[in-house]
Amino acid sequence: MTVLDMRDVRKVYRSGDAEVVALDHATLAVDHGEIVALLGPSGSGKTTLLSIAGGLLAPTEGSVVVDGEDITGHDARRLTAFRREHVGFVFQSVNLVPFLTAEENLLVVDELGGGKGGRAARERARALLDELGLAARGSNMPSQLSGGERQRVAIGRALFNNPGLVLFDEPTSALDTQLGEQVMELIRREMKARDTAAVIVTHDTRMTHYADRVVRIVDGRLTADPVPA
Amino acid sequence: MFLAWHEMRRSKLRFGLLTGAVGLLVFLILFQQALLGGLITQFIGAVRNQSADVLVFNDQARKNIEGSIILPEQAAAVAAVEGVAVASPLGESTFTVQADGSETDAVVFGYVLGGPGAPTTLSAGRLPTADGEAVASEKDEADGFGIGDTVTVLGPGGTLDLTVVGVARDLNYSVSPTMFTSFDTFAAAKRVRNGLAEGTAVLPSVLAVQVADGADAEAVVERIAAAVGGVEPLTRQQAVDGSPGVSSVRTSFGVILGLFYLVVPLVTGLFFLIVTFQKASALTLLRAIGARARTLVVALLVQVVLVMALGSLVAFGLYAGALQGVKNLGVRVEVMPVVVTSLVVLALALVTSLVAVRRVLRIDPLDATTGAGVHL
Ligand SMILES: Nc1ncnc2c1ncn2[C@@H]1O[C@H](COP(=O)(O)OP(=O)(O)OP(=O)(O)O)[C@@H](O)[C@H]1O
Ligand SMILES: [Mg+2]
Repeated sequence: MTVLDMRDVRKVYRSGDAEVVALDHATLAVDHGEIVALLGPSGSGKTTLLSIAGGLLAPTEGSVVVDGEDITGHDARRLTAFRREHVGFVFQSVNLVPFLTAEENLLVVDELGGGKGGRAARERARALLDELGLAARGSNMPSQLSGGERQRVAIGRALFNNPGLVLFDEPTSALDTQLGEQVMELIRREMKARDTAAVIVTHDTRMTHYADRVVRIVDGRLTADPVPA
Repeated sequence: MFLAWHEMRRSKLRFGLLTGAVGLLVFLILFQQALLGGLITQFIGAVRNQSADVLVFNDQARKNIEGSIILPEQAAAVAAVEGVAVASPLGESTFTVQADGSETDAVVFGYVLGGPGAPTTLSAGRLPTADGEAVASEKDEADGFGIGDTVTVLGPGGTLDLTVVGVARDLNYSVSPTMFTSFDTFAAAKRVRNGLAEGTAVLPSVLAVQVADGADAEAVVERIAAAVGGVEPLTRQQAVDGSPGVSSVRTSFGVILGLFYLVVPLVTGLFFLIVTFQKASALTLLRAIGARARTLVVALLVQVVLVMALGSLVAFGLYAGALQGVKNLGVRVEVMPVVVTSLVVLALALVTSLVAVRRVLRIDPLDATTGAGVHL
């Protein structure tokens, strides 16, 4: 079953008279439990594609269906609810709320969804942190965590609501190779354990073998990589 | 609540400092208001806390009882006006008296016993029932104006003894010890002071009017003004507010208080604007992962309310403590002004926080993908 179904998506940015075509007739389908690596040079449109898939940005043309919900014409309010309920994000830079502990950074997802933050939510947060190797870090503030630990908390946050689709924007770019590989391995393990689909943006070809499939993007155009690494 | 509370918990110093600043400023407002109230009471409490519904001044007196005098024909004309039940003489003057062994200035009011113009805030003892008896201002109890004390009016015409038989709250006039006695005793005191022969007539300063049952004081004031020449009738409240001392004190305090009422919300609004800027990237992240703008606005407003509420509590503590130290200014701790001031300041702070609210509403969740977060 398809979790993410983007068809003929175009995104044109206008700044003054200039037009930038960030995505050009991009069509991409991702199945349940499938991990897709999106590989491309800087400025090729990777973040733009991720933003459209995650309901952060409306496409200029084309349609986007996630988890069976067509979000193409959603207004800002419905997109907010969609992001809260259906997707998980791990962003390139800021991922944690600095005044919340690691555990609270997970619980905030429940809170935003109107949850009561009760025992069940706390137990779930602890189990998830445990799974990510952060059992002893739950009450640490983000500033007291290493880069890799922070990235793992962000992964936990993205998974907390059991989304069908998790979007990663360069999750390893700030980490050294060894740590990066560990994080990728962790991502793969967690996705497979939950049968969750993932799109992982990277420009590092050494990371692509953790994916089931590699999609390349150049100047806003997608080309599928026939041979999975 | 979750976000608001955890953020405050983790930034205790920052929010504590703001709360402290708000507390101090609100305290200053409360204290000044109390001083203003106390000062006004000491200027004009005797007029506010006497029983006449309407006071009729000479129209040359500019609402100042010291400079007013009422002629017998005016008194008769006022008494004849419809709606006037009783119009009786009320005299007021400042005397040199001997109290508790030392000389001091005191104000004496003379009213017709049993008629309008009697003190209404008796706190101990009784009202005078005979000539030579007086009710004194409670504030000066310890200075020779307590029940059973004798106060002696001095003058070229000899001396006159007044016996204090009761004390009443907030009964001062012109910031002096004040006594209410019978009009005849007042007249006798005036003759003593001015060295006049016994039996010389003493004119009242104003007329104390009691309106007929069911009559409206303001309507009676209008009728007197229309019917009688050369007088300026005022309701009790108008006489208080119009008194020259009161209005000048109100004006100067008003400017200072107005500035304080502006400063508190400005400080609060600026603080929350800065804090909102500083955590812009966290707010952007929260919006990106599905926080409604409303959730973040509510969190902000909850913080404003908490800070203002705690600040008001701090202010109340300081206020209650400080008023213990200035008891002799005639100032009392009252809860209502504190509640009203706190609510007004809270409302103003919520208004200025709208600038920060606007920032929150303008956050673009897409910025989470670039980490920009801050749009100035
Ligand atoms: N808000 C915007 N306004 C105008 N142009 C934009 C905007 N956002 C992105 N672009 C342009 O769209 C193109 C694609 O940008 P995008 O951020 O998707 O690239 P990317 O592949 O994620 O790059 P990187 O690897 O550097 O993160 C770039 O040319 C970029 O300059
Ligand atoms: Mg990018």
